[in-house]
Amino acid sequence: MNQRSTPYVLVIGGGKVGYHLARHLIDRGYEVTLVEKDKWRAQWLSHQLGSCSIMVGDGDEMAFLATTGIERAGVVVGATGDDEDNLIACQLAKRQFNVPRTIARVNDPENVRLFKDLGIDVPVSATDLLMGLIEAELSGSDSVKGVAVKASGATLVDVALPELSTLVGKKVSDIRLSDDDLVVCIVRGGKPVVPQPELVIERGDELIIYSTTLDVERVRELVSS
Amino acid sequence: MRIVIVGCGRVGSLLARRLATEGHTVSVIDERPSAFERLGDDFDGEMVVGNGLEGATLRRAGIEKADGFAAVMPGDNRNLMAAQLARDIFKVPRVITRIYDPIRAEVFREMGLETICSTVIGASLIHDYFVDGVNRADAVAGAGGRKT
Repeated sequence: MNQRSTPYVLVIGGGKVGYHLARHLIDRGYEVTLVEKDKWRAQWLSHQLGSCSIMVGDGDEMAFLATTGIERAGVVVGATGDDEDNLIACQLAKRQFNVPRTIARVNDPENVRLFKDLGIDVPVSATDLLMGLIEAELSGSDSVKGVAVKASGATLVDVALPELSTLVGKKVSDIRLSDDDLVVCIVRGGKPVVPQPELVIERGDELIIYSTTLDVERVRELVSS
Repeated sequence: MRIVIVGCGRVGSLLARRLATEGHTVSVIDERPSAFERLGDDFDGEMVVGNGLEGATLRRAGIEKADGFAAVMPGDNRNLMAAQLARDIFKVPRVITRIYDPIRAEVFREMGLETICSTVIGASLIHDYFVDGVNRADAVAGAGGRKT
């Protein structure tokens, strides 16, 4: 464990996601409590992770949450398979126990924005992440990658320009993006280059684009047509 | 008024029938088509099969033009999420939800969400009957409480 103090993390929901997350965090030296509703599942989890990290109870019950030491938690993670349970658990953590940071697993990608609006600090959509990665693989080319840092509702798109990209020889300022999108970095020969407007794009460049509107398909059109 | 009700169980169906009879425009959402049987053949509101937590379903039920919204599904968290969707995303002027857990009802009420805790109301009515011998259920239920 490193010098800096790590926050106490409360993970709600001991399914596959919650279990692997808790295990990962424990390995990295975090103090973790994993909350699981089902007694039998909790027993199994205790065998895997050690009993001190598991509590049996309903993560949405105020009375139970109060017994988990939630008020000193630095982060609460809603990791159940039900969006509504993750939302309410995180809202209770924030409003009633002043937890500084709440992270909610989002199963329906449409809820990412809603959760943000309703005060969840970081909604994480595994579905979006998976769809983006699978879509990139489906295309058979690995020229457009990454696609999904979704914390702010935006996406980081990593584009390795194809050989015949029409962008080669153009300036950064010539790339047609909407006002909400920005080329944040160009990777040239393995090194990051600041994308000044006058910088001319070279063959083999890789563009990293921050975008709230682009999807993989649009990016592909943009760079190859 | 135009009212969207999510959940067509005992409470949802009773509420929908009563409001429709009084001349309001009512849409009821439930995931199970069989739930609408509770409404009876003469119900002249709209019945929408779908998940009341999904924007697309709520739009189909006309939430964008709704004056009122009630979340009366079996789960507290589903109701709280649906109610916040209606209030914060679709800006429905009057939003209310039925909650079983008294603490959650109180917490979200403090957050500005109208909640009715059926547990507290039921317990209070029974309590009062023991204390002063009066059953106030009829006064609360009004005309809709009894099948005619």
